[in-house]
Amino acid sequence: MIRNGRVAGLTAVAAALVLIATACGRSVTNTTPNPGASSAVANLVTTSPAGTKPVSSIVWAVYRDVNSLDPIKAFDYPENTADSLMCESLLRQAPNGSIGPGLATLATPNPTTLVFTLKSGVTFWDGDPVTPADVVYSLERNTDAKLGGFYPQVFNRVRSIEATGSNQVTITLKEPDYWLAGELASIPGMVVQKSVAQQQGQDYGTPTSKIMCTGAYMLKSFKPGVGVTAVANPHYWNPAVKPLVQSILIKGVPNINTFTSGLLTGAIQGAYEFGLPTLDQLEHSSAVKVYDGPGWSSDAFIVDNLKGPLGDVRVRQALSMALDRQGIIDSVYKGAALMPRWQSNPGTFGYGTSVFNAAYNSSPLMSQNLTKAKQLMKEAGATGRTITIGMSQDLANIAAVAGAYQAAGQAIGLNVKLKSVSADNYIDFFIDPKARVGVDGFMTVNYGDYADPASLLSTFVLPGGSQNYDNFNDPRVTSLLETARSTADPNKRAALVSQAEKISAQELPWIPNVQPTNLLLMSSNLSGAVSSFAYMFAPWADALGGTGSS
Amino acid sequence: MLLVSLFVASFVIFGAMYLAPGNPIAALSGGRSLPPQSVHILELRYHLNAPFLEQYWLWLKNVLHGNLGVSIILQENVSTLIASRIWTTAGLVLYASIIILVVGIGLGVLSGLRHGALDTSTLVVTAVSAAIPSFVAAIVLILLFAVKLGWFPALGNGTSFLSNVHHFTLPAFALAVSSLAIVARVTRASVREEAAREHVQTAVSRGIPTRQVVWRHVIRNAAIPVTTISGITIASLIAIAAVVEVAFSLNGLGAYLVASAESKDLAVVQGISLVLVTAFVVVNVLVDILYAVLDPRVSLGGRAQ
Repeated sequence: MIRNGRVAGLTAVAAALVLIATACGRSVTNTTPNPGASSAVANLVTTSPAGTKPVSSIVWAVYRDVNSLDPIKAFDYPENTADSLMCESLLRQAPNGSIGPGLATLATPNPTTLVFTLKSGVTFWDGDPVTPADVVYSLERNTDAKLGGFYPQVFNRVRSIEATGSNQVTITLKEPDYWLAGELASIPGMVVQKSVAQQQGQDYGTPTSKIMCTGAYMLKSFKPGVGVTAVANPHYWNPAVKPLVQSILIKGVPNINTFTSGLLTGAIQGAYEFGLPTLDQLEHSSAVKVYDGPGWSSDAFIVDNLKGPLGDVRVRQALSMALDRQGIIDSVYKGAALMPRWQSNPGTFGYGTSVFNAAYNSSPLMSQNLTKAKQLMKEAGATGRTITIGMSQDLANIAAVAGAYQAAGQAIGLNVKLKSVSADNYIDFFIDPKARVGVDGFMTVNYGDYADPASLLSTFVLPGGSQNYDNFNDPRVTSLLETARSTADPNKRAALVSQAEKISAQELPWIPNVQPTNLLLMSSNLSGAVSSFAYMFAPWADALGGTGSS
Repeated sequence: MLLVSLFVASFVIFGAMYLAPGNPIAALSGGRSLPPQSVHILELRYHLNAPFLEQYWLWLKNVLHGNLGVSIILQENVSTLIASRIWTTAGLVLYASIIILVVGIGLGVLSGLRHGALDTSTLVVTAVSAAIPSFVAAIVLILLFAVKLGWFPALGNGTSFLSNVHHFTLPAFALAVSSLAIVARVTRASVREEAAREHVQTAVSRGIPTRQVVWRHVIRNAAIPVTTISGITIASLIAIAAVVEVAFSLNGLGAYLVASAESKDLAVVQGISLVLVTAFVVVNVLVDILYAVLDPRVSLGGRAQ
């Protein structure tokens, strides 16, 4: 993930604690590893306290304008933020990442059959009931080649999706797939009305088209340049949810200075962020309240070439050990990030939590160890060799992290050359094999679709994974993840994924830099938004409202 | 003349955009990897793999039929997208122009006619502000008048005419500040020059009232260089507006042009460029007409000798 002009930032656990408790002071000392201790994200909050007062309208900032409201084309922060505000999925991810019923409840009579039963009284914004036909159509849109959605691979173990009753949809699988439920609690599981979507065809979700979802907020207008305006749905199907904010404008604010002064002056009332260079200033303002929530994204160095010096695992380990991660946490993330132990962010432990926590806490922190790093370089005979890192001087956070890699290389006798491209072309490293020629690796901030370490990990360790640029293939990791995908018991699944993570933390197909936490920034007179990364995939404003007594 | 400008500009911009590296599809995904089949569908739909001249011809043919094409990013007609933003830029440029003309020429005339403290301070202030780029002015104005004093909003357009004016005040000043200083200095210099001329001295010595001398002999003659410099600076505002629109999150054409160029949304870049080139040519024509009004020796449509 790249966000032009927006720099990324992070916090160590201890720092996050200090930050929330006192909103000042920033002694970033890491707590020592304590096997069996509680979650690494225990000090982060998953939601802000529920709002209590009605509010007429607010402006919510995203880093650029929303481009489409069609969920099958939501693949980046602005679109996800808008879709998850208004549309709901078959299942739902709670702020802590656990998966529960959404528009439907899930039963699994056998490992290759998923039966979804729609909740009674579930309706679209216009009052029409949600039918199994709507569900089948919505899911099949993902794989319809004519529509060009971004999530077809999610359904690669699906044999058929059928309406099997007046309120029932059955998915039959080619082989067991316990990752599908997570995806159906995310963007690919969002349900839209068949008649409206069919009528709009390829244009569904464009600014002038009509959309129809089920959420507590419904679309009022989508004006390019102005933003997406969502208003409270007075006929929301779930009577337990009563939206307090009448109108939310989701507005693209690309310039970080404008964004900051907007929050300080109240022209912007809320936003989700990470790696914010002006975090200190905002934290010290009485006009703004900052919540630090669990993040599900990872800031990492993507190794894309295993034929060069980085093909030797000892060189990857040495480079990782030489990296000053604390420096990145302090300077780039202004404290809002965690020191990694695994490839994945500990915020992603949405199931089998105690199994994950125990395994995670027993893994070593990736702290700096120059002596060991130099020794590994010597053993590998790689001292004096050269690697090239793709980066962009125009993207401040990427440039800073690449600089940290250069310093790390220098400290251990590995020459690190930087290949800088313009901010607009940085994207080519991800999508154009030609751009990766002669480049050993590049930086990313990346996330999976739901709270499961396997969700991101599988994209770059499995053969053929969408982000496996270096054709990394470790049969142990592949087998663990494939088995996990077919394992019903959440704790057993967590144990398998933990093992895959532990091996990957040693083998370093990517080199984790830091694990960003999720920043929620709101006007101090607002509260109630979800503060974990779950906001990207499930409704985040249902409890949003003004503070104080009503 | 206008048509030739538009044709040349469109070809050059299309060519530059074609040659510049980058990929519009990337802008849709925020940098994560899209499945190859989705990429393939998008490439087919927008002819992204067609050769350069074929792509240009497809675009030109549509434009000649009055169709500016469809934005790849928003899948919306470019003309609709431009129409929704054009008034922001027009309003901003107009507001800034009024500030430049009223304040810049006003200050220039006053300090040109009067020696002393006002003149000296105008010289100093304009020397400094002529060197302030719009983006710096924007940061300072936001910090001072929005964050510290809270008099004006830090961003956005506003909803009614009055709130538009309120929202546009800081951006308009940010846009106007350096041009204003230049216009003021040129005005001052030419007023000085005209005031020192023999016929003005003669008129004064013959006892013609000062007001009449100033209006008929000084200002009218000084107006020609002032018109030239005002025309150039106002026309250039159309281009600089982009910087200010970004800084204040205004939904104008300039900010949209920048965003579209970054995401390689070709049809939008082309459409906005055509509008900007047209506006530039129109402003220059207006300045030419004004010359003829001010100076009877200039005839419209005359060729350069």
